[in-house]
Amino acid sequence: MASLITCPHCGRRPKEEFSIRGDAVPERPEAAASEEAWHAYVYLRENPRGAIREYWHHVAGCRRWLVVERDNLTHEVFAVTDAREAATGDAA
Amino acid sequence: MSIPFTHRHILEDRMSGYEPSPNANHLTVLRRPVIFSALAHAGHEASVAEALSLVENIVVRSVSPSDWLLVSQNAEAGAIAASLGAVPGLSFAEQSDGQVLMAVSGPDVRKILAKCVAVDLHADAFAEGESAPMMICRVAGNLARTGTDTFEILVPRSYAGYVFDELREAGREYAMTRGFGE
Ligand SMILES: [Zn+2]
Repeated sequence: MASLITCPHCGRRPKEEFSIRGDAVPERPEAAASEEAWHAYVYLRENPRGAIREYWHHVAGCRRWLVVERDNLTHEVFAVTDAREAATGDAA
Repeated sequence: MSIPFTHRHILEDRMSGYEPSPNANHLTVLRRPVIFSALAHAGHEASVAEALSLVENIVVRSVSPSDWLLVSQNAEAGAIAASLGAVPGLSFAEQSDGQVLMAVSGPDVRKILAKCVAVDLHADAFAEGESAPMMICRVAGNLARTGTDTFEILVPRSYAGYVFDELREAGREYAMTRGFGE
């Protein structure tokens, strides 16, 4: 696994400082969405080989939620963004 | 001499029998610093950061874009709270009893800290005056560079004993001494 993550707030940090929540790809459906949509959101996950998108929490650093885009095959890290910026599309 | 419980430092027992005169490499435990945590409300991050830099008698330690630790060794908590209360968009809480402040200094300080943190502490990467939250001896704390060969560590009180022991062990090969400082 990628062992160094460049946090947008803290800089290059060891992976031990983070806690991984999981897949950041599924989008939360509307509260009134169908049972199938909620089932898919809660339970169904792709298991890709290669580029993945995950939520990481910088527990021992800035305590911000981050979106880490990395390759689970080559361990390359493509991008690390603050989750709020990733959600709002704000690159500030 | 008897010391009232409230004035006993959490590391008091670990200090018994410490060396009377400090070596070049030395770990100082600051006895009674005043510490606050500060959080900016959404949208107020920049104005709060600016206002904190103007508060007298405190040193600002960065935690995140909206989160700071404030340290003072020469002001009363009440006076600092009064200044902080006047800053719009800021929430704060006193943490003097919740955090322990230690200073490590000496020519081998970076070699000692290299055993405790996984962050590059070369002056080009972590300059004097900088501070950052990081894992210190596997405990989430805050490290600041206060001089060329001086660093300050803030860790939660309940972890302080463990971090102190780890630092002592790391400093053993460099003959690091330790003691209380005011
Ligand atoms: Zn961070």
